[in-house]
Amino acid sequence: MAKRITIDPITRLEGHGKIEIFLNDEGNVDRAFFQVPELRGFEKFSEGRMAEEMPRITPKICGVCPTAHHMASGKALDDLFHVTPPSPAKKIRELINSAFMGEDHTLHFFFLGGPDFIVGPQAPAGERNILGVIQKVGLDAGKKVIDIRKRLRNIITKQGGRVIHPVCNLPGGVSKGVTKEDREEYIQTGKEAVEFARFALKAFEDIVLKNKEYVDVIVGDIYKHKTYYMGLVDKDNKVNFYDGDIRVVDPEGKEFARFKSREYLDHIEEHVEPWSYIKFPYLKDVGWKGFVDGKDSGVYRVAPLARLNASDGMATPLAQVEYEKMYNILGGKPAHNTLAYHWARLVELLYAAERLLELAQDEEILDSDVRNIPTAVPDEGIGVVEAPRGTLYHHYKTDDNGVITGVNLIVATVNNAASICMSIEKAAKGLIKEGKVSEGLLNMVEMAFRAYDPCLACATHSLPGHMPLEINIRDHEANILETIRRS
Amino acid sequence: MKTLILGIGNPILTDDAVGICVADEIKKLSLPDVEVIETSLAGISLLDYIVGYERLIIIDSIKTEKEVPGTLYKLKLEDISNSATTSYSHGINIKTAIGLGRKLGYKIPKIIEIYAIEIKDNTTFGEGCTPAVKSKIPGIVDEITKIIKSDQPQHLP
Repeated sequence: MAKRITIDPITRLEGHGKIEIFLNDEGNVDRAFFQVPELRGFEKFSEGRMAEEMPRITPKICGVCPTAHHMASGKALDDLFHVTPPSPAKKIRELINSAFMGEDHTLHFFFLGGPDFIVGPQAPAGERNILGVIQKVGLDAGKKVIDIRKRLRNIITKQGGRVIHPVCNLPGGVSKGVTKEDREEYIQTGKEAVEFARFALKAFEDIVLKNKEYVDVIVGDIYKHKTYYMGLVDKDNKVNFYDGDIRVVDPEGKEFARFKSREYLDHIEEHVEPWSYIKFPYLKDVGWKGFVDGKDSGVYRVAPLARLNASDGMATPLAQVEYEKMYNILGGKPAHNTLAYHWARLVELLYAAERLLELAQDEEILDSDVRNIPTAVPDEGIGVVEAPRGTLYHHYKTDDNGVITGVNLIVATVNNAASICMSIEKAAKGLIKEGKVSEGLLNMVEMAFRAYDPCLACATHSLPGHMPLEINIRDHEANILETIRRS
Repeated sequence: MKTLILGIGNPILTDDAVGICVADEIKKLSLPDVEVIETSLAGISLLDYIVGYERLIIIDSIKTEKEVPGTLYKLKLEDISNSATTSYSHGINIKTAIGLGRKLGYKIPKIIEIYAIEIKDNTTFGEGCTPAVKSKIPGIVDEITKIIKSDQPQHLP
């Protein structure tokens, strides 16, 4: 039965991440498209199931951000069953979510985005990875990264009730409180996470900000789009990952909209393109004007930089200092530099760590009042949280018995779909001239979307265990001139 | 030999779950000195699990479209391409994760075997594998179990 083969990732490219770059007669870029596979049948899969199952099902959509789905789903159930969780339950959920944001942002910076800057945008591909990062920052730093992620994940596991896919959220609260013993551990982890985030920001400052070449790349025009920005904010317009209103600012930074989860369909519509399975959300009140930026285009962005742009600051002191510093250096707010997503991610890492510590130190976190039992008849519920990759919407409809009759999800990255396409095209146009393409230049095209950390179709884990990417460069008659495959 | 079996896959994405299904069947056999973990995680997050074991057996799905669904491949770590350049959060594959673990001085299993099962559909949400894959699971379980019991690794790194 068994056969031995050498895995050829190319064979799996069909239906995976794909960039198509079309050149004109002169060999310059005409259009560029980013395509991803379609996952089918989630709505059908969910229909007919009890709504209470959704917080356990939806985390399985994605192996990267299960905790964010669990949180959005839990909030959607609160809304569906018309029940408000007691304050300690909300704090426990936010504690778990903060731990998750911290570990995910750490992963992205050190393993994915970081190599471009710490090792160098045009460094040889073989060095531009985590091993190259460790070469630069040292073995101890590598151990720190692994260790803090493990400790943060431990909070999710302990409080979430299960490794990877948390199961703690119930309509009206959570399944268990925090023990005194665990709380001490969480406080310790929070303290270490704050120190780690400061270390990461320091490394960013030393390696990236002190290097003029890198700063020029970050602020350069090819990585810039003036769009609207969206993110959850608290009552003071400070960034919040778990709760609050959805705020949208225009490309000049003025508040354009501020709305509740329940009103999201009044503000967001989705545009369909024949060449993509992804629908492209845009602001309804501005309208779809194509893949263009500016005030007249309804394209908006989410995730770290967008969240910071859409807010008036950070709710924790150290992160606020870093927030101000970032905008001072970038020349004010909003910042439109796509590569500054990496920087914003580190500011958020510090906020997540500080918030985690605050919540763990809060006496109320030990309160055993963690659930209000729902008594109302369920009908419709919407839950919104900030996932690492942006605003995440869960919307369920049920019959009177709580059986799912309809599901709509806008997953974080989808909000950024139009911008990702625009960013790739702009970078390709700026970098590829007269048909001349090098590996380093292509990496710089990839950097345009790596900043967003796109996570699409991330539910599949088949070998080789990562999502390959194919870049096709075509002439004006769509003949393939060159194909580059990232395995 | 302290052995870890990692069944990898997404439990609600049809054939993507095959690694988990096979691992689950092996778990029921309660083999001595063998621990079985089913996970949806990939890449670097797997490091948390594998440290401290002497032998690691990974069971996962694969889509080459060159063989019939249900075909079992026995692979070495070297057969998996190195993800030198990655673009996604789960873009660091097991090979890079193991390389990193060794570099950082963690106790990484000396023996690593990868069993990959050819699949048909990993883009439709659904519980349970397609019939073609499902029908092969008992035979695959028997074959992998036999190898584990014989204590003769198929490949050395």
